[in-house]
Amino acid sequence: GSPTIDAAEGLVTAAYAGIGNDDMIGPIASMWVYGSVRSDDAYKGGGGVADMEPFNFYEQYNLTQPFQNWLAGLPFTWENYYRAISRANSALKTLNELTDEEYALRKTRMAEARFLRGHSHFMLKVLFKYIPYITEDLSKEEILATKNRAYTNDELWSKIAEDFEFAMNNLPGKQPEVGRANKYAAEAYLAKLRLYQAYEQDDNNQVININKERLQEVVDLCEDVITKGGYSLQPDFGENFLDGYDNGPESVFAIQFSISDGTTVGRLNFENGLNYPHGAPQYGCCGFHQPSQNLVNAFATSTTGLPKFDTFNDVELSAADITPDGVTVDPRIDHSVGLDGHPYKYRNEENYIFSNSWVRDPGVYGYFQSMKEQQAADCSCYKKEGPFMGVSKNIDVIRYADVLLMQAEAYIELGQPEMARPLINQVRKRAAESTGRTRFADGSAPSNYLISEYDGTNLAWNQENARIALRWERRLEFALESPRFFDLVRWGIAATTLNDYLEKEKTRHDFLNNAKFTAGRDEYFPIPQREIDFTVDSYTQNVGY
Amino acid sequence: KSFAQTGKISLNINSTFEEVIEQIEAKTGYHFVLKADAEILDRMVAVDYEDQDLDQVLADIFKDTGYTYEVIDQYIAVTKVKDVQQQAQPEKVTVTGKVTDASGAPLPGVTVVIQGTTEGTITDFDGNYSLGNVGIADVLEFSFIGMQKQVIALNGATDINVTLLEESVGLDEVVAIGYQVQRKADLTGAIEVVELESIENVSLSSGNPMQALQGRVPGLYIEKSGSPNAANNRILIRGVNTLGDNNPLYIIDGVPTKRPEVFQGLSAGSIVSVQVLKDASASSIYGARASNGVVIVTTKNGSDKKGEVSVQFNSNLSVQSEKSQRLNMLNAVDRGRALWQASVNDGIDPASGYGEIYNFDWNGDYSNPVLNSVTPQPYVGGDTNVPVGDTDWQDAIYQTGFVINNDLTISGGTEKSSVLMNVGYIKNTGMLKYTDYDRITARINGQTSLLDDKVKFGLNAQFVSSNETLAANDLGNAPTPGLGVTMAPTIPVYTADGEYAGPLGSGYSDRNNPLMMQYINRWDNTNRKYLFGSVYAEIQPVKNLVFRTTLGLDYSMVKDKDIEPAFTNGFIARSVNNLSIYNSDFTSVTWTNTAHYSLDWGKSKFGFLLGIEAVSDDFQDFMGYKEGFSTQTEEFFVLSAGTNNGNSFGTATGSRLFSQFGKIDFNYDERFLASVTLRRDGSSRFGADNRYGFFPAATFGWRLSEESFIKDMDIFSNLKFRAGVGRVGNQDVGDFASLGLYEPRYGAVASQVDGVSHNNFFDNYWNVGSAYDLNGQNTGNLSSGFVSVQAANSALRWETTDELNLGLDFGFANGKLIGSFDWYTRKTTDILIQPPVASALGEGQLQFLNGATKKNTGWEFALSYRKQVNDDFMYEVAGSASHFADKITDLPEAVRTAYPGNSEQTVVGHSELSIFGYVADGIFKNDAEVQAHADQVGAAPGRIRWADLNNDGVINSSDQKFLGTLLPKLEYSLRIDLNYKNYDVSIFGSGVAGKTGYDPYTFYNDFIRGRDNVGPGVFNAWTPQNPNSDVPALTLSDSNNETRTSSYLNVNASYFKLRNVQVGYTLPAGIMERLHMEKLRFYAMAENLFWIKSKEFQGPDPERTNLDLVPIPRTFSVGVNVSF
Repeated sequence: GSPTIDAAEGLVTAAYAGIGNDDMIGPIASMWVYGSVRSDDAYKGGGGVADMEPFNFYEQYNLTQPFQNWLAGLPFTWENYYRAISRANSALKTLNELTDEEYALRKTRMAEARFLRGHSHFMLKVLFKYIPYITEDLSKEEILATKNRAYTNDELWSKIAEDFEFAMNNLPGKQPEVGRANKYAAEAYLAKLRLYQAYEQDDNNQVININKERLQEVVDLCEDVITKGGYSLQPDFGENFLDGYDNGPESVFAIQFSISDGTTVGRLNFENGLNYPHGAPQYGCCGFHQPSQNLVNAFATSTTGLPKFDTFNDVELSAADITPDGVTVDPRIDHSVGLDGHPYKYRNEENYIFSNSWVRDPGVYGYFQSMKEQQAADCSCYKKEGPFMGVSKNIDVIRYADVLLMQAEAYIELGQPEMARPLINQVRKRAAESTGRTRFADGSAPSNYLISEYDGTNLAWNQENARIALRWERRLEFALESPRFFDLVRWGIAATTLNDYLEKEKTRHDFLNNAKFTAGRDEYFPIPQREIDFTVDSYTQNVGY
Repeated sequence: KSFAQTGKISLNINSTFEEVIEQIEAKTGYHFVLKADAEILDRMVAVDYEDQDLDQVLADIFKDTGYTYEVIDQYIAVTKVKDVQQQAQPEKVTVTGKVTDASGAPLPGVTVVIQGTTEGTITDFDGNYSLGNVGIADVLEFSFIGMQKQVIALNGATDINVTLLEESVGLDEVVAIGYQVQRKADLTGAIEVVELESIENVSLSSGNPMQALQGRVPGLYIEKSGSPNAANNRILIRGVNTLGDNNPLYIIDGVPTKRPEVFQGLSAGSIVSVQVLKDASASSIYGARASNGVVIVTTKNGSDKKGEVSVQFNSNLSVQSEKSQRLNMLNAVDRGRALWQASVNDGIDPASGYGEIYNFDWNGDYSNPVLNSVTPQPYVGGDTNVPVGDTDWQDAIYQTGFVINNDLTISGGTEKSSVLMNVGYIKNTGMLKYTDYDRITARINGQTSLLDDKVKFGLNAQFVSSNETLAANDLGNAPTPGLGVTMAPTIPVYTADGEYAGPLGSGYSDRNNPLMMQYINRWDNTNRKYLFGSVYAEIQPVKNLVFRTTLGLDYSMVKDKDIEPAFTNGFIARSVNNLSIYNSDFTSVTWTNTAHYSLDWGKSKFGFLLGIEAVSDDFQDFMGYKEGFSTQTEEFFVLSAGTNNGNSFGTATGSRLFSQFGKIDFNYDERFLASVTLRRDGSSRFGADNRYGFFPAATFGWRLSEESFIKDMDIFSNLKFRAGVGRVGNQDVGDFASLGLYEPRYGAVASQVDGVSHNNFFDNYWNVGSAYDLNGQNTGNLSSGFVSVQAANSALRWETTDELNLGLDFGFANGKLIGSFDWYTRKTTDILIQPPVASALGEGQLQFLNGATKKNTGWEFALSYRKQVNDDFMYEVAGSASHFADKITDLPEAVRTAYPGNSEQTVVGHSELSIFGYVADGIFKNDAEVQAHADQVGAAPGRIRWADLNNDGVINSSDQKFLGTLLPKLEYSLRIDLNYKNYDVSIFGSGVAGKTGYDPYTFYNDFIRGRDNVGPGVFNAWTPQNPNSDVPALTLSDSNNETRTSSYLNVNASYFKLRNVQVGYTLPAGIMERLHMEKLRFYAMAENLFWIKSKEFQGPDPERTNLDLVPIPRTFSVGVNVSF
């Protein structure tokens, strides 16, 4: 082809690389720091509170101190998303100069670039709320003058939505290259965006209205994805988190990583590289991202196989309680949490059984270790690079279970809880069937699994209960995958949920003694000060900071 | 006198006597010695000899001239015939004696004249003289070029031995100052001529002449470390002028280079002079690259020993130790005590964090804690193969270092041709184990002339090859010198079965055993080879007009081999080994053509210089990378032996510079001096519109000491006022700085890419590539694109520095007390910066722009006093002081936050090397003090109280101020040289004052680190029982952020160091004569013997602010200087 077409192709590829340009200290692909540690799901972990200190401040909602030199975190995440956005915009600029006649794939590639731009803006939006919205037609001067409050909260959602709408209308249903976004990925992402948009916030980040029209859009968009997209749940829940199952039937859109690909170390995900169990004999470092006591408690089930909605947190479950004849639990716990004496990452041979001795700093953070984002140490997808691990396992941005539960959420908030029940049950049924991999070598289960579907009577299926069930389902299904904090903010219950959580959790771990979530501030991060400085006050700092 | 060996000569000439003498000198190798104003020189002589005896020729030409002559060895001394009968002196004697130099070596050819007459003689080859017919009340003058004149009254003595000292003022000395040489007396700029003799042996012990200059040139500031390759960390002439590269330009034998290693690699024995051009009026002839000052180096040639071969040999053996620089760190048990205290302070069970390392026996009462004992657990991580250690890691990684440096110079020549060869070899065994450095240098300088010196050719060439294995990094990129300080003492160096031990179990940092890291990196090597030199031709078609063309080459090749073996060290391992081979190749070719014409017109003398110069720089590099080597031996680590995952990178870049320049020098009656310079440079690095820059300069000098009213005062031996204004430039930006650039980055992490960085360590874990696994196959070739890496700025132009320099040179008391003072002010505008930009602009949007202005004012002062007390004893005391204060006066608002300061107090008005931070105002003693203080996040009893500088009742980022600057306000030095008989002693010290510096030891001595070792200062920390401490309470969570930039960690870092003491003994002339030697001197030398420092600075040495560098050693040397 002509050089310009090659250039456009190359720039689109670079734009994909942009969203996968994973940065251990400025994460953009894995949200374990921002979504999991900041929620009631997990602690920072690692070697004491001062290890990766900024993450400790995120966990403790302590972001108003006059710190000068951040080792890691927000400023880099902000920068990395805008790097990704500029790659998409570079591609769009070149594509704009071509015609459809010159380049048959022009519209498709434009749609992909806009999808990628939409993704980065979306992620920035859930982290920072008010962000400068950057498109390819802006000059350097215009970009510097772009205000982060140019749009209202709702207008900003709609601006970002335009990219997904364009993508949805111009992408093919199936792409020859599985790593590219397709029509249904765009549709699912638009549904996700509309769901966030539906919960309308005031200037103090409080949810003041739930927009029914937006919810109906969510229902319709999800319906299209469900009926036409060709997706289905992975037969075993664990396969979503296991090497060899990338781009499976459940993966709607994923960030692709690769190894032995001709690059020096591989295009690996490093953002989870701090999170391998520290004391694992196969080598490990550095023991970050430890599940909270609260989360582990939440996996316990009642005698009817449903969550213990009201009493779950009255106990402190430990591995000693979670045994074949111990408390009944949702099987997803053995996919999510490393527990002493349980196979780690589906490996039931000697040396791979998780042990308390693998935990780095149990005096501070307890004995649980996150598992979903890790692989067994001998995985060919792993690269030990310095003290850390990189992994070629993809990170799913949207998996099909999310589409089901988003539609369920919209139905419930629209007052149609009965429409939501089969969707939730689909997810629970798959969870119930996902115990094949978690077992010991002799076939016995390490835990006492008990999980049932909502039959309409074991929990009175009214809107309120359905909402509780849906929210619980999201928590367990996506535990430690990090949407939790953003879900809480979307639902408008972050302050109450997290302060309740802290009140109890600090009696278990005194490092949380000073942690307090401030409503009207801590729902969002502060705009990095250096960005405000570099644009000479184009940006207004977020409320409360 | 014997004329037997004078030989034959052919001579056909009809000219002045002066011309005749020159012809005879050229044809015979004899030298005439006579006063320059002798009337005989203007006498016309017509001779025509064919193969005539020289003594006959001499007899003929002196006949009836009123002059007579005497042949002494190679010299023909010409004296005026006195009318013996004219005046009968009452008493006439014959005076004899010997003239030697400061080292006791005989001085042949010294003119000995009776004061007030032209009568005299010269010394013979052995320095002996005999002069008859001297009145007992007469005064003898002893003079020799380059030596101070000695005047001695006879007072009846007939045996007078004289020691002549080198003329340090050297007013008649010529120095290279830029495309030409100039008499030192005529200099009008701020030019420092470096005293070379005293640094020769100092540069031998490090192998780097630049290190030897530390403190010796006022206005030249140098920072160094103890790395075996003796590389410098910072070299500044007159401070920091710009926000980018502050390295000076080096001109070595006329060839420019910005690479400091060329100068640093010169053998001590091969340098003849070093000049530092400090101000813009002096350096503007070098135009675009001269804004950081210019260092001009001339290497020796063989022409000063006519017809003889001279051999010089210098040898030095040094012993280096860093022990005086060590930080006092805790042993295993004490570290446990400190961790216990910190945990208890935080209300955390110490066993929860450190139970795997220590067994804490305490009462468990957090409100009244009592520790009974701490015992380290017997095994690290419970592994019985790793018994707990009590390791002093600094002791484990350092050893005594040895440096051997030998330097041999052989030179010889005739009037027409000369050649010099120099070879040097240095080996430094490294104080840090498994480091070392060796370097071999070779130089050949030759020159020859044709056609009665009307055509000259010459060659200067230096070849250097060095190998270095330096401090290594651990797996997480932490340098081993720092790990030697911070590594936990409970980790033993070795396991029970002799392997290297490492962190195991919980409670340890993810850092490696530093000795092991040095060991496994012992095969790493950087080989540098460079070839530097020039060939030149000089033609003098008519008298006083010289054309010169010089072709210079600066070639450098670097070959770096980095072997990363697989290893396991405790819980840290590298599972796949790899090899990186990096090659780079830099070639700079300079072609310079100059024309020089001098014109005397009455009392006025003019010098004209015109020149053009073209410089072409090309750089390319390549890196090959491979993984998976089945055998871990040094020989097996070649790229082709790697079995998987290979990769390669390479770049090429270059720049061109084209220049025209001219200069006019003017000298009126030796009293008024002036010069005008203009240079025009064109650089490929700048945008097309702004490619050319003009660099003018003018100077004025007034030699007051030549004025009769000063002469009459008879106080000054020299007094000269100097003034200069000039403009110089800076083009140190990337070769393609004005262009917008895209590049493909197939797969790259930030650490592999220039100009992309978040944090050096974590840059290895940040993808910035443009390839992506679109097919979702996880492996195999990826699709790849490309990314923007730099935004265009077609308006990019020169950074310029304008400077005014005023100076005064003075000498009193017949040259014994001399000194100089310079004051300058300079302004650098359009400073080239690549400021950070708002992230919203996106990737690769950094651009170079002309964005800032700096001002710098300072002064330099030097004074020395030299006294010959008697024949046996001489001393000289020399001191210097210098000051500069640079500040940014203009900086775009948007980029100010990239520099120290905040929104209220920006860096404008301060140096960018200022420290901006909080003021520590003691420790909160109790709750009442906390309540009384402003609202401070993290405040509690035992915590540092941050001063509420703006009194707004809350401690926030507004409560910061400028605490000082990293560069000193004053740098000073003192040198004392003593000579007694055959002994010589030299003492040199220098120091800085007014420097604020970061004290890394306070960081480790006063604050507990959960995973690093700390110093005993932690036991002075605040506790309820020790409420008056000025060290904050130990805490592992540091919620008060006490290691923020503050006055607590940045303190007065002033010091004075006795840098060098040298004692030498030169064998007496008689012994050397029997040994057929010219000079034999033995010496012993000590460096960094002791120092004094500010009490505020807890660390052992304020010069050591970075613990990741090998400390500056204390060095003891013995050596020998031989020549024959």
